[in-house]
Amino acid sequence: MIWSTLKLWFHKLGSPPIFSVFARRVAPWLWAAFFACTLYGVYLALYVAPPDYQQSDSARILYIHVPAAWQAMLAYVIMAVLAAIALIWRIRTAEIMAMAAAPIGAALTLICLVTGSLWGKPMWGTWWEWDARLTSMLVLLFIYVGIMALYAAYDDPRKGARVASVLVIAGLVNLPIIHFSVEWWTTLHQGQTIRIFGESKMDPSMIPPLIWTTLGTKFLFGAALLDRARNLLLAQDQHKAWVRRELAPALDDRKQPA
Amino acid sequence: MIPELNYAPFVWSSYGVFAAVCAWQFLAPLIRRRRLTRQIREQLEEERAAAAVGRPAPRS
Repeated sequence: MIWSTLKLWFHKLGSPPIFSVFARRVAPWLWAAFFACTLYGVYLALYVAPPDYQQSDSARILYIHVPAAWQAMLAYVIMAVLAAIALIWRIRTAEIMAMAAAPIGAALTLICLVTGSLWGKPMWGTWWEWDARLTSMLVLLFIYVGIMALYAAYDDPRKGARVASVLVIAGLVNLPIIHFSVEWWTTLHQGQTIRIFGESKMDPSMIPPLIWTTLGTKFLFGAALLDRARNLLLAQDQHKAWVRRELAPALDDRKQPA
Repeated sequence: MIPELNYAPFVWSSYGVFAAVCAWQFLAPLIRRRRLTRQIREQLEEERAAAAVGRPAPRS
């Protein structure tokens, strides 16, 4: 039952007009959830959570640095799944969503790198260090930018998306490098302190703001992905009747049943 | 009330960067869609005007 419903949704959302309506309806709710979770999380992070016993208030940067890093990596995994679907089944909506995920992932990686640098200066005494974790995260940013550039380099967006999808799949190799960099090499960056399975080294009072800002970044990604993918679809299909009906219904004479 | 923090310039700069990037993620698709809607409306108006005088519709 659940599987057949999911399959039906999967096929239905493959249709650009249905996806566009779905994105238009769902994205505002995701934005609302993002604002609510993030504002509450930031309030907890700045007003309620205690300062770290060693790093004092500079540790408050973690409440945005860590969620951005997690979501930048999760965004890449989602983009790779979409790229694989696009390459195997040639579903245009999946292609477009994969390409729409790249600028959001790049933005999250940028947040992670800049906030990490702002945290590193007072704690490590340097803005940047060619440490394995930092460098692999910088490589992730370059991969995201490379995917965006490759997609934009083709006049035919479908061809561009297919070529960029191959790069997305190849770039997956960087994710385990990022994750295990703090174990494989001696790094300035601290090791893993938060574990989903197993005991975390973080004080429990620091967990709630982290959960809320983490949820916020998930909603940010979902909302921005739907908005950007819908825009790409509308731009590609701008001469088609369904786009004209949706964007300029008063001017379109060619009324057709939905 | 703004909390008084140690390392305040670093903390506030971080939250500022986060806010700016999130705002851009929110605004960029809105701006793009407005531009796209205006472009499509203009095209439709041109097509209408062309149809009214009986010449072929411009295709951009």
